[in-house]
This record gives sequence, C-alpha cells and structure tokens, in this order.
Amino acid sequence: MIRRRPLAAWLIGLTLCGGQTLAAEPAPTEFSAAGLYNLANSYARAGKPGMAVLYYERARLLAPDDPDIEANLNYVRESSRLPREAPTALARALRFAAPTVAAWIGLAGLLIVGTSLLAGRLSSRHRWLRRAGAALGLSMVGLTIGNGVVLWPALHEAVVISAGAPVRVAPVPMGDAAFVLAEAETVHMRAEHEGFVLIRTRAGRSGWVSRANLAAVVPTS
Amino acid sequence: MRGWLIAGITAYLGVTAPAWAAPPPVSTTIEPEQITLGESARLTVTSVGTSVEPVTLPTVPGLELRVVGQSSRFEIVNGTTLSTTSIIVRVTPQTAGIFTIPGLTPKSQPLLLRVNPDNGGGGSAPPVVTGGSTPSGIRMAAEGAAYLRFIVPEREVYVGESVPVEIELGLRDGFARANDVPVLTGDDFTFNNLSRKPEQNQKIIDGKPYTLLTWHSVLAAVKPGAFSLVVETPVTVRLRTGSQRESMLEDLLGDPFFQNFFGATVTKNIKIASQPAELKVLALPTEGRPADFSGAVGSFKIASDISAASVAAGDPLTLRMRVTGSGNFDRVDSAMLERLDQWKTYPPKSSFTASDAIGYRGEKIFEQPLIASKPGVQTLPGLAFSYFDPTARRYETARSSPLSVTVSPSLADTAPPAPAVAAGAAASAAAAPASPSHSGLRPDHIAAGAFVDSLVPLYMRPRFFVIPLGLALLFIGGWLAARAREPNEKSARRDRGTSKAAKRVLAQLETAARSGDAALFFSAARAALQQVLAARWRVPADGITTADVDARLGGDTGLEGDARLQSDADDIRRLFALADEASYSADKLNVTDFARWMQIVRRQLTGEQAG
Repeated sequence: MIRRRPLAAWLIGLTLCGGQTLAAEPAPTEFSAAGLYNLANSYARAGKPGMAVLYYERARLLAPDDPDIEANLNYVRESSRLPREAPTALARALRFAAPTVAAWIGLAGLLIVGTSLLAGRLSSRHRWLRRAGAALGLSMVGLTIGNGVVLWPALHEAVVISAGAPVRVAPVPMGDAAFVLAEAETVHMRAEHEGFVLIRTRAGRSGWVSRANLAAVVPTS
Repeated sequence: MRGWLIAGITAYLGVTAPAWAAPPPVSTTIEPEQITLGESARLTVTSVGTSVEPVTLPTVPGLELRVVGQSSRFEIVNGTTLSTTSIIVRVTPQTAGIFTIPGLTPKSQPLLLRVNPDNGGGGSAPPVVTGGSTPSGIRMAAEGAAYLRFIVPEREVYVGESVPVEIELGLRDGFARANDVPVLTGDDFTFNNLSRKPEQNQKIIDGKPYTLLTWHSVLAAVKPGAFSLVVETPVTVRLRTGSQRESMLEDLLGDPFFQNFFGATVTKNIKIASQPAELKVLALPTEGRPADFSGAVGSFKIASDISAASVAAGDPLTLRMRVTGSGNFDRVDSAMLERLDQWKTYPPKSSFTASDAIGYRGEKIFEQPLIASKPGVQTLPGLAFSYFDPTARRYETARSSPLSVTVSPSLADTAPPAPAVAAGAAASAAAAPASPSHSGLRPDHIAAGAFVDSLVPLYMRPRFFVIPLGLALLFIGGWLAARAREPNEKSARRDRGTSKAAKRVLAQLETAARSGDAALFFSAARAALQQVLAARWRVPADGITTADVDARLGGDTGLEGDARLQSDADDIRRLFALADEASYSADKLNVTDFARWMQIVRRQLTGEQAG
C-alpha cells in the first residue's frame, strides 16, 4: 500500500500533464479527491451529468471544503435543471475537514480527555489545566461526531445515472411507473430488494428503482 | 285500392241479393280445438249472405269470449256469385280444462275446447310455441312468424375444446321481432355471451320475406357425454285470428298494416326454441399428457423473441412468447422460464388479440421480465408449449428456438471506473479545450492528492474503531487502578499526619523535661493521650477525664488495637492522675522519671513496642 501510493500519484500526474502512455492507474480500491474531481469533470464534458454528479459527490466526501468541487457540482446540477443544494451554516461548519482528518482529531480529543481524567485521579495539582484539557478534548470529539452526523445521509445517497429512470410502486419491472427520475438527481436509499432500491427523493416521493439506474455515492464493495 | 274493390263488390251483391234471398245457413267453428293455457282460440260464426244474424255471446265459466272483427267473402262458382259473412270471436281461457261453448245461434251446435296447462318455463315466462318443420330443416314457430336454428359441427369434440357454433333467428317481416339474444339451455356447456348486434340479412323463405339475425359464438363442454343442445329466445309475434282460407286472403293482401287494420292478427310474447343438436363430448386422454399441459385444446404454434439483444447487467428486458392458432385461448397458459441461472425471473403476464369475432382464432402474447445478474454472453433456452390437438387426437408440444443475449457490466458497477475509461477521460480533458457548453466548469486539479482505500469515513470503519476503543479501555483501566490505590494513599497520608503531630508532642515533652516543668510535661502528655484515646473510643478529646480513663481501662475494651492500651493501662491512669496533681503540687521529677513517662507516651503515639 505504501509503495503503490507514490506510484499512482506519479501516474495520475503524468496523465494530467498530457501523457498518453498510461501503464497503470490507481488500484480500483483507491480514491483521491483530485482524481474523482477530474473524472467528474470528464463525465460532465462528455455529457453524462449522472456520472459527473456521482463523482463530484464522491470527491466532496474526501474534500468537503474544496470550492471547485462545490462549484462544478452546482454547475452540473443547474445544467441538468436540478435545484442547487444549499447546506446550512451548521452543516458547513461541521464538515470542517475531510473525514480522515476528523477521525484523527477525534482520536486526539479522546486521548486528551482520557489523560486529563486520569491525571485528575492520580494528582490534585494543576486542576485548571486538567479541566481545560478535558474541555478541549471533548470539543474535538464532538466535532468528529458532528462531522459523522452531517455525513451520515450522504453515505446512504445515490445518484440517478440514466435518463428517465422509472420509479415503480413495487420492486418488480412490471406495470406503469409511478413517476420518473431525472438523470443526476440525488436520492436517499432506504431499502433494497432483489435488484431494486427503495428511494426517497428530495421532494419526498418514494418508490422502487432498478439498481442499474442508480449508483451509490459510497460504493458498498 | 283494395278497399274500393271490396266496396264495389259489396254494392254489386246488394243489387243482386233478391235472387237468392233465402234464410241463410249458419256454421260455427273453433280453431284450434286444443290450446295451451295462455293462448287463444278463434271462434268463427259464418253465415251465407251479406248479412249475419245477431250473435249473443254465451257466458262460459273459465273462458273469455270477445268479438274482435267481421269479414265477408265473395266467390263466383260456375257463374254464380256466393257471398259469406263471418264474425270472429277470440276465446281466451283463464284456466286449463275442457270447455263446452253453447251454440251461438239457434241452429248452431255446441263446440268443445281443450285447454292444456302450461308446463314449459315457469312464472311469467311466455310459452314455447312449436310448429312444423320445413324441408330445409328449419323449425318454424308461431305459424311461420319466426324460427331459430342452432348449427354445431357434426363431429366429436373434447372436454374444454372451444367449438364454433352459429345461431340463426329468422323473423318474418311485420310478424315477429326479437326481444332478447338466444340462450343455451342446460348447464353442461359454457357459452360465450352473444352480441346484441348480430349479423343481419334478408331472405325469402317460401315466398315470404324474413329478416335473419345470425350470431357466431363458441361453446365448450365441461364434462364428457352425449348431449342434445337447444337454444331459446323470446320473440314477439303477430298471430292471425282468421281461418286458413282467410289467411290466404290476408296473405294475398300482403301488407301487415291492412291485416292489422282489418283486425286479422293478435300480438303475443312467446319463446321459440331450436331443434335439438346432438353433440358427443369425449374426455381428454390421460396417456401421454405433458407435465406442462394447461388445458389448451386446438391447433397452435409458438415463437419467441426478446426486447433487446444486448443489455447492461441489472437492466430489465422482456422475453416474449407468441402463441398463434385456433382453440380455447382462455386455457392457453405458460410459466415460461421459472428459474434460470444468472437471471432473475418474474412471473409472465399475457394478453390476447383475437383475429375473429368470437375469439376462436388469434394470438396470445406472454411477456416475462428478466434481469441479467452477471455480464457475458447468455443464452436463454427455447420455450415450450403443450396442447391437445383434437384433429390428430394427441398431445403436441411446440418449441421455440434459444435466444442469445449479450450482457455488459452495469454502469453502476464500474465504481471506481475502469482504468481505461478514467485514463481516456482524463487525457481528453487535459488535451482538448473545454467545449463552450461546459465553459462554466472549473478546471481539473493537477495535484493527485492523498489516496484512501475507501470512501467510508475513517471513523466509521471497524478497523479504525479499534483504536479509540482500545484507548478508552486503557484509560478506564488506569482510572480503575488509580481508584483501587486510593485507600492505601489515604491511610499513608493519615499516618504521615499522625507522625508529624506525634513528633510535635514529643518535642514539647522533651522541652518540658529539660526545663523540669512537670506541670507542663504532664499537661502536654495528657493532651496527647486524650487525642489518642478519643480516636480509639470515638469520643471528643476534651470529654475524656481521669474517671473515664479509670472506667474504660479498668477492663477489656474489646476494641481492636487496644493491646497497647491494656499493657500501659495502669501507667496511663497514673499519668492522668499525676497530670491532675501536677497542676496543684510542686513535686519535682528526676530525669529518669521524665524518660520513663516519655517512653510511655511515645509508645502510645507512635505504636513502638515496649522495652
């Protein structure tokens, strides 16, 4: 793993600089925010808004504070006649850092809280310092938890990758569609049954969509 | 025109009447002499001449007699003109039985009328009137006003087989009209509902115009056996009230309007039936019956096709099976592909399109949704459909050809995308300028950035979760260990505090001993022992007096750690006593005494062993 990352970064850089002899790409199990963002741009230019939005969403998971990702995501959505997303200030604040960074911050906070409590048990000296340390550590853990709460819906979201995906009232490919989803629309996945996904749109409408018409923002495998 | 003719003939007869002005003979007839309850008979009183004797209608219980008309007839026989006049009486029975109608004139004879009970139908249903058969096999009813014919194939049929049949209703123009569609009697056959708009044609039968209503339908037997099939239909007919000879004149007059005008007919609602049609029904053989036989009987062919030859994995496609031919399409059924590896199958639905009016011939299409689960070239096996051929008298199985489908990987499964796609897309993005339609996109990022092996946040992965969990357990363990150490720490702290206080007291005692101040020495020693005893006895130190010491140290205190007290009990009591005395006496102690008392106090304060 450690050896592959520099190699993959070098190959990506070579590709972006116009190199045509790409011997290998990052392993399919590796992601980078820049790689996903560039791929989303390619799909957008190729006229595939569904796939573009999917990869912008994935890139945003890794780099939530990247203004380019946010701008291009909104641009593609508006080009597809979909409403622009406007997250709340709290949500924006809680997505202060990438989840990986937030994870280590939370871990450091936990370390500080534990050390403060243990020190208070072992010694009665420097009580104010211990209390300040515990407060700081708790804040760091709280930020990580908040980051997780804000990200949680995105982990169960999917993007419609085909135009006019029919939404049915039952998980079978028969009967008339209740309504149709637009390509690049983001929906919330609530359940799955034999190749069909029970979705809920931002407008609150629910139904079953063929799994082939959707792509989860966070791949399950 | 005919009215003028009748008037002219009447005038001529009036002029020539004196030539045969004799008393006219009178005859009475009733036709028919036997009727069924609900029908009417016609009683005719005929007298020769242009006038008729007055008729007094008799009263017969159970019969209603009513004059409905009068007619005259002129005949020329061998140059002699003969004229007759008739009075027509309608006889309607109210009950069944044999009735005697008295003579209507003094010279006429009584007449007999037999009225049979109505056994057919029931309730208010009109009676079935049957008539003689014509040479063509048509069963005329209601004096030729209507007939009903039921045409079935002259062969053996099988249970469940759809048998095309034809029903023909003939209605003489102006004399009959249909009230409802024909129905099949009996419960041994299923019979399709007939249309209320049948085929309509005109036909001349025996020189009379008829309107023909023709229905086409199919029937199917529900059990084997030999059956006699009859159809019935209600009609409204106009019956003549005159004699046969009069009927001939009426027929000559032709127009039903004039016949009705002269009161020659009555209107009745009746039900006519067809002649029985014999049909033999055989049971389907059990030998050689295929397992997938659904009851289809007829002649069929099948073909299959698929909605798309190539599809992405996960995308639904439709497999169709077309069954064409003739037979009982309502029993044509198929489960198609119930289970298939690499495919998700759903129950098929069917639709039937008839190519004739009765649904005997047509095409039934079965559509089955399928979803491919794995990419690659897949082969859908041929479909089979079993039926019974009544012509060949055996079971047949029709088969379709296998179908090939190319299943490509799903777009959703390519996450992250195939390297070639990613490379190509990225390269094209870098090489080609952005198209005008995408000029709003911000440019690509040059730096590759850090790589992660999953888009799931690190803190939600079980592998990472072990770290904070271990850390938390570590802190909890440390905290519990620190808490376990706490009693020893408190005891040591308390011991350290006690040791300091004891040193201070001992220092005071040494100071007093060096100065030889016995009062101060014993006062300090008593105060120190009061603290020790107060802690042991859990009483206030100030409240411990010499009397308390005498009382408590007089025997076993029963308290743990009081061994030292017991061993020094006498000395402690003595010390308390000396302390009281030293306050008032001026006794001096030598150095040895001070040292001895110091030893006693030190032992109580620090726990050192005696000796």
